[in-house]
Amino acid sequence: MTLARGHNGLDALSRSINRPSITLAAVGLALILGALRPPFLDYLRPVGDFYVALLHICVLPFLLATIPLAVRSAMASGSAPGVIRSLSLWVLLMLAAVAAVSVVVPSLFLAYAAPDEGTIAHIGALIGRSADKIDVEFAIDARQPAAAAAGDSGIMALIPTNIFASLSANDSVRVLVFAALFGVAMVLAERRSGHSIFDALRHIQAVCALIFDWFNLLVPIGIVALIAPQIALLGPDAFTALKLFAYPFLATSALLLAAALAVSALALHARPARVFSALVKPVMLGASTRNSLICVPLALDTLESDLKVPKEPCELYLPIGVATLRIGTIPYFAIATLFIGVLMGREFSLSELGLLAFLAAGASFATIGVGGLAALAPLAIVLRPFGLSYEIAVPLMLIVDPLAEIVRTMLNVGINCMIPSLAAGRRFAASAGEGA
Amino acid sequence: MLRALFGAVAFALAIAPSTLTAAEPRDLQAIVDGQVLRVALTRFDLPAFHVRAPDGTLTGPEIDMARQIGRALGVKVEFVDSAESFDGVVDLVAAGRADIGVSKLSQTYERLKRVRFSDPYVTLRHALLFNRAAVARAAAGRPPAAVLQKFHGRLGVIGGSAYAEFARRNFPEAALVEERGWDAAVDHLIAGGVDALYRDEFEIRRVLKHRPALNVKLGSAVITDQTALLSIAICDSCTKLQEFLNYHVGRSRGAFTLQSLLDSEGTGSR
Repeated sequence: MTLARGHNGLDALSRSINRPSITLAAVGLALILGALRPPFLDYLRPVGDFYVALLHICVLPFLLATIPLAVRSAMASGSAPGVIRSLSLWVLLMLAAVAAVSVVVPSLFLAYAAPDEGTIAHIGALIGRSADKIDVEFAIDARQPAAAAAGDSGIMALIPTNIFASLSANDSVRVLVFAALFGVAMVLAERRSGHSIFDALRHIQAVCALIFDWFNLLVPIGIVALIAPQIALLGPDAFTALKLFAYPFLATSALLLAAALAVSALALHARPARVFSALVKPVMLGASTRNSLICVPLALDTLESDLKVPKEPCELYLPIGVATLRIGTIPYFAIATLFIGVLMGREFSLSELGLLAFLAAGASFATIGVGGLAALAPLAIVLRPFGLSYEIAVPLMLIVDPLAEIVRTMLNVGINCMIPSLAAGRRFAASAGEGA
Repeated sequence: MLRALFGAVAFALAIAPSTLTAAEPRDLQAIVDGQVLRVALTRFDLPAFHVRAPDGTLTGPEIDMARQIGRALGVKVEFVDSAESFDGVVDLVAAGRADIGVSKLSQTYERLKRVRFSDPYVTLRHALLFNRAAVARAAAGRPPAAVLQKFHGRLGVIGGSAYAEFARRNFPEAALVEERGWDAAVDHLIAGGVDALYRDEFEIRRVLKHRPALNVKLGSAVITDQTALLSIAICDSCTKLQEFLNYHVGRSRGAFTLQSLLDSEGTGSR
């Protein structure tokens, strides 16, 4: 995002503060503090909340300006169909690859790991302690009304029937749909009348980017203030008991992130170290805020300014991709299913592993626009076809969620950043130049 | 001829406890005049309700309640703890061998044909303890509640308990398995001999509280529209005694709650 900021001093300061070494040091400090749980950790929580609130200020205005501009750019250049085709192809390939890795790697890990009696007892105690001690409630009398489903579901969840309500409710998916629709209509209206507000939108985009630059000065503080209390929520006791889930999940996620960096480097003809240095900022911002959408402005800036990825695929894909492709949820659901399978003594055949990969990828779409416990509900879609208990999974996944949420967001941001690089292809990469 | 004789002997043995030792039921005044309140109990312990100390002394909230009733009547209390089953306690009261029965007794249609009951001193929701894998298999992708609501697997209940009757009414498609006692029933469930056990919420939670490792294999379900009304059994004609006990239960309302029961009981089970 090569925006005319006119703030070279601020830019230099931001780049100095957000050096990869400082970002990683902040993450390291946060992990240590989270593990040690010093008493002052409680005072860090409000600092973290304050930082996230600051980042929220401009996210939706930024997206409302960026998406119509990207749509216009694509439609004006005539490259839109090609870019969209390329993005779609890479998204499909990426989903298939992530789903396959999410099933194969933990299967290999869990094939050699069997929980002993002590671990089973420990996990059983965790289930009993963390759930409300009753798994299911039902009535014999079928005439008793079932609980009404809350909110819209399916395609209705995408329709921005009231954009102002969606904006005030921070309903990012509906806002993105509105922005894309509005962008197309604005381009067509501009062609008819010759009038538009695209210049104004470009200005709004620049203003939002400037405000993000101010807040980016606080990224290291935000990382420590947000990650440390989150890690502290995960007691070492729970982590030990759930190592059969946590270790495969961490290992698979690390592999996926490393692969995304390597593929990006390959596509951009850049050194992996350079890609890592650039992407560590948005990925760690995702880790700290646990909100993928908040990372979009920084991710766009990183891709366009630091890695010289062309603007068009970045701005066309990243906001929508980050909001709709919950990539981190795929390994999360797949490994949770394999883990519950191990606990319940179930083995998976090769064809079942294929089905698991498909279901995990499909169920990740059911988490669009939801968070917290509701985001765990689609796990039932993956577990139940294999005769595995969703009710046992919920309390266990809630225990590891403080850590898993961080990792899921890192995957969402990191892997989504890879797609525009791939879609841009070599013709753009050639102009980027090594070491630019 | 021999077969007829055999049948007659078998019938006589079957009805022996209620006919051979039947006594005249005693209402309130007869109890006061006799200066003793005979209280029927199960022979086995019911943790959190009544248990035997190592020296054989009976203790627990139901024992305390019986003694309070005795004090209120101004008579001494004598425990008749020979019942082999919950229905056995009802038998003792129905036969006039005990004045009241207090062993975590639920009101049921069948029991109400033979005895009357006080107002409930605690109400517990019905519950199931089920094998997660078996229920998930039967569910075939549906939520477990869909299977449990129309349960047609092997359902264990304690023989001679109210839940045998409840199960026939609420789960008519299930294959009922009557177990000797609660410990045996839980062992049978763990071994895969039955797919689920049917009892009250307290007992289900209690199993998982004391054996947390079972949470992995076994799930728990509460039936929201079915409750067990735990009450004192009284002889069928003893209206004045029933009125007296209702007054006592009303005055001590809140003495028994699910949480207090879970918090109070020991680690034994039956």
